[in-house]
Amino acid sequence: MMTSVSNSNASIHAMPNTWLSAAPNQLAGNHMTDIKQARSVALKQVLERGLPTVKNEGWRYTSLRSLLAQNFICTPSDDVLTVNEEAHTAIETALQPALETYRVVLINGRYAPQWSYLENLPSGVQIDSLNAVLNQSPARLAAVFTQIADTAHYPFTALNIASCDDGLVILIDDGVTLERPIELLHVSTGSLNQSVTPPMMHPHHCIQLGTGAQAQLIERFVSIENAGVYCTNAVLEIALSPRAVLRHARLQLESLNAFHITGLHLQQAIGSDYSGINIGIGGAWSRTDLITRFIGEQAHCEQRGLYLVGDQQIMDYHLDIAHQVPNCSSQEQFKGILYGQGKAVFDGRILVAANAQQTDANMTNNNLLLSRNAEIDTKPQLEIYADDVKCSHGTTVGQLDPDMLFYLQSRGLTRSQARQMLSLGFAADVLTTLAPEQLHEQVINQIERRLETATF
Amino acid sequence: MSATTDNYEHLVNAEYEHGFVTEIESDTLPPGLNEQVIRTISTRKQEPALMTEWRLAAYRHWCEMPAPNWAAIQHPPIDFQAISYFSAPKQTPKLNSLDEVDPRLLDTYNKLGIPLEEQKVLANVAVDAVFDSVSVATTFRSKLAEVGVIFCSISEAIRDHTELVMRYLGTIVPPSDNFYAALNAAVFTDGTFVYIPKHTRCPMELSTYFRINAAKTGQFERTLIIADEGSYVSYLEGCTAPQRDENQLHAAVVELIAMDDATIKYSTVQNWYPGDENGRGGIYNFVTKRGECRGARSKISWTQVETGSAITWKYPSCILRGDDAIGEFYSVAVTRGCQQADTGTKMIHLGRNTRSTIVSKGISAQRGQQSYRGLVRIAAKAEQARNHTQCDSLLIGDRCAAHTFPYIEVKNPTARMEHEATTSKISADQLFYCQSRGLSEEDAVSMIVNGFCKQVFNELPMEFAVEAQKLLSISLEGAVG
Repeated sequence: MMTSVSNSNASIHAMPNTWLSAAPNQLAGNHMTDIKQARSVALKQVLERGLPTVKNEGWRYTSLRSLLAQNFICTPSDDVLTVNEEAHTAIETALQPALETYRVVLINGRYAPQWSYLENLPSGVQIDSLNAVLNQSPARLAAVFTQIADTAHYPFTALNIASCDDGLVILIDDGVTLERPIELLHVSTGSLNQSVTPPMMHPHHCIQLGTGAQAQLIERFVSIENAGVYCTNAVLEIALSPRAVLRHARLQLESLNAFHITGLHLQQAIGSDYSGINIGIGGAWSRTDLITRFIGEQAHCEQRGLYLVGDQQIMDYHLDIAHQVPNCSSQEQFKGILYGQGKAVFDGRILVAANAQQTDANMTNNNLLLSRNAEIDTKPQLEIYADDVKCSHGTTVGQLDPDMLFYLQSRGLTRSQARQMLSLGFAADVLTTLAPEQLHEQVINQIERRLETATF
Repeated sequence: MSATTDNYEHLVNAEYEHGFVTEIESDTLPPGLNEQVIRTISTRKQEPALMTEWRLAAYRHWCEMPAPNWAAIQHPPIDFQAISYFSAPKQTPKLNSLDEVDPRLLDTYNKLGIPLEEQKVLANVAVDAVFDSVSVATTFRSKLAEVGVIFCSISEAIRDHTELVMRYLGTIVPPSDNFYAALNAAVFTDGTFVYIPKHTRCPMELSTYFRINAAKTGQFERTLIIADEGSYVSYLEGCTAPQRDENQLHAAVVELIAMDDATIKYSTVQNWYPGDENGRGGIYNFVTKRGECRGARSKISWTQVETGSAITWKYPSCILRGDDAIGEFYSVAVTRGCQQADTGTKMIHLGRNTRSTIVSKGISAQRGQQSYRGLVRIAAKAEQARNHTQCDSLLIGDRCAAHTFPYIEVKNPTARMEHEATTSKISADQLFYCQSRGLSEEDAVSMIVNGFCKQVFNELPMEFAVEAQKLLSISLEGAVG
């Protein structure tokens, strides 16, 4: 039942109905009762609880006002794939650099087979669109789809589950090692016609690695040149079976017209190993929630990140690492470069439950403020209920050392070059973990370009 | 009206060293809170009409505020109508010497090991002892008056220095600041007022011992300290309370103002009744403490040792408004039994070249719950601001908890701030080493804990440091193993 939440309660925003799918009954997988049920629970949650305001602790530095000011409309139909010639060329460009990968391309949140490349997949590996899997063999996703995501605490995840219709599915059988990386490309055009209200997309990805399986996933969010306004509300559900290994690179390179939301829900079984690197460069307004739940001992999780935030940008990273079982380790390292009127928010929480002895968790957040009006709000939290643990966190906020700038300038570099060099040096230890080489270069080029054109 | 006699059998209780009730008749208002109660308090205190209105405005504001629920603490809802808001010992004579003090009162202090005479002579400390809500003894006042220092109860100050008090009261912690600050503004019955005139170094350390006494009376202290240009003052606050089964609410407000080149050092040892091992009884300590470094090169330093109270909820803060101002916060907090502490600080950097240091040491044992919650805000105009924060937690036992919630907001690129936090337990190696050198396990733990806290104890005035170390050892007795 669709009910609208009254706006009299100042601590929530009512959920705009147009953000939801207009045809909920036709969403993929809804012929299955349990999927339909899970979706209706999520819908009820987001309608009843509404969207958070800055009075909500998790959103105190990030207001939804600019998001709510847009009349986003959920776009379920396939015609988002029919793009004109001009956009076609723009998409070609946006797909660069071409990598040696299995490639899945989503155009405006829809699986686009004509751009994708999934030939010669080894046996034991299934890569497909969520729409196809939910409609044809939903049982394959029984352990993942809606099972890992936390809709109670993440309203945008609930919104996604209530409305998602497509995305990527990766299922890797026990013991299979996939040598070649899998690439997931979100290409968005926005509304190309100014008179059309901007689209909101809800891509949903399910990834399950069997026991001892190994894979590498490269995820990129890009926009075509001159893309219009749009909003991506992505959700990933990742289940790592015992001793599975996943390397995950996430590049958010959306246009400065874009709104971006990601909820990454990760569940790690015994001995599994996840290592993620999150690069945030684009988007006018973006929010990323990285949620890790350990369900088996001896698991290890690494989350690294780099955010570059400039004029008219607000970028928010929230980490929630829950050590519910003993003997797991996690390491989180995020670095930020801020300039212009950019604003970044970092909120990292490490929870160590009462029985999670021998936990080793470490979080650092370093920020570089390059100019006057930039703002950083950081909040690294430790919540510890066990005594035999090693936990630490560290945060710094600083600026470039004037002596270093002077030294480089005395060697003939311009001030801008010196600034770029030092900023990249600051980011280097995060960036070195980014592979393959072409991607690394693309990111460095983008950072350089941004810093070159920035006003200080 | 001696509500205390019923509790007489609780007097001797070995578990809590300072748990005894002094039987003095209290002039207590019946429980309940309304505008009439506030008017009565104001009338009894012989306050000017201006003050009455100020209180009423705070009360009306308080009525509209919801009780806060964001802190990581748990307690049953407080019935504010069940609390009596005024309790004054019936005899309130003006005293010039200790001879005039009720001997039973003096006896209470003796039991606490803080004889006034001895302190007067040996420690050279002027003690403004607050027994329940009204000051009954003030010493060394004439000596302080010589240099122009005003050190008196806030009620007296409101009567005798109305203009001075009203100029500053509520400017740092406005009555609308938070739920408990509003409540305090409406009903505070006593507290301390200190004014240090320009270019004066306060000749002695000022000290007030607070005690909560009559049953069912909340204690609403209000402290206002003003250090004028170029002055220096060190203020000591220490607390103990008798053992009770019923939770007692303590919602104090402390305001500090430091003008150009002034320094205020504020030290607290808090050892109120923490409740029994199941968390029954114990004091709710909900305090708003804030200082403003208003002038250039001013400095405010908070040092606290928190071992008592069932719930501690306080964030001594510094607003660094003046250029080159310095804010410091040193804290040791111990929670054991079922104690809960949500404590930390706020450093608000507004002026240029402002610096702040935060050192917070938390020790959590048994089922103790502890949170460090701190804010460092560097405003856009705070050029070259500097902050260093270190918060370490020590866990003893597997049912305790320690949390860290630091908020860092930086709007100026020249800022340099660092935050470090660690959580660990006493390692088996450390214990083994100490024991192999002949120490008992308890002594070894005590030694390690004292080492852990040393950085903070070093900031305490001498006598307090000794007391704090003792307190820490007593607090952790039986908590290990």
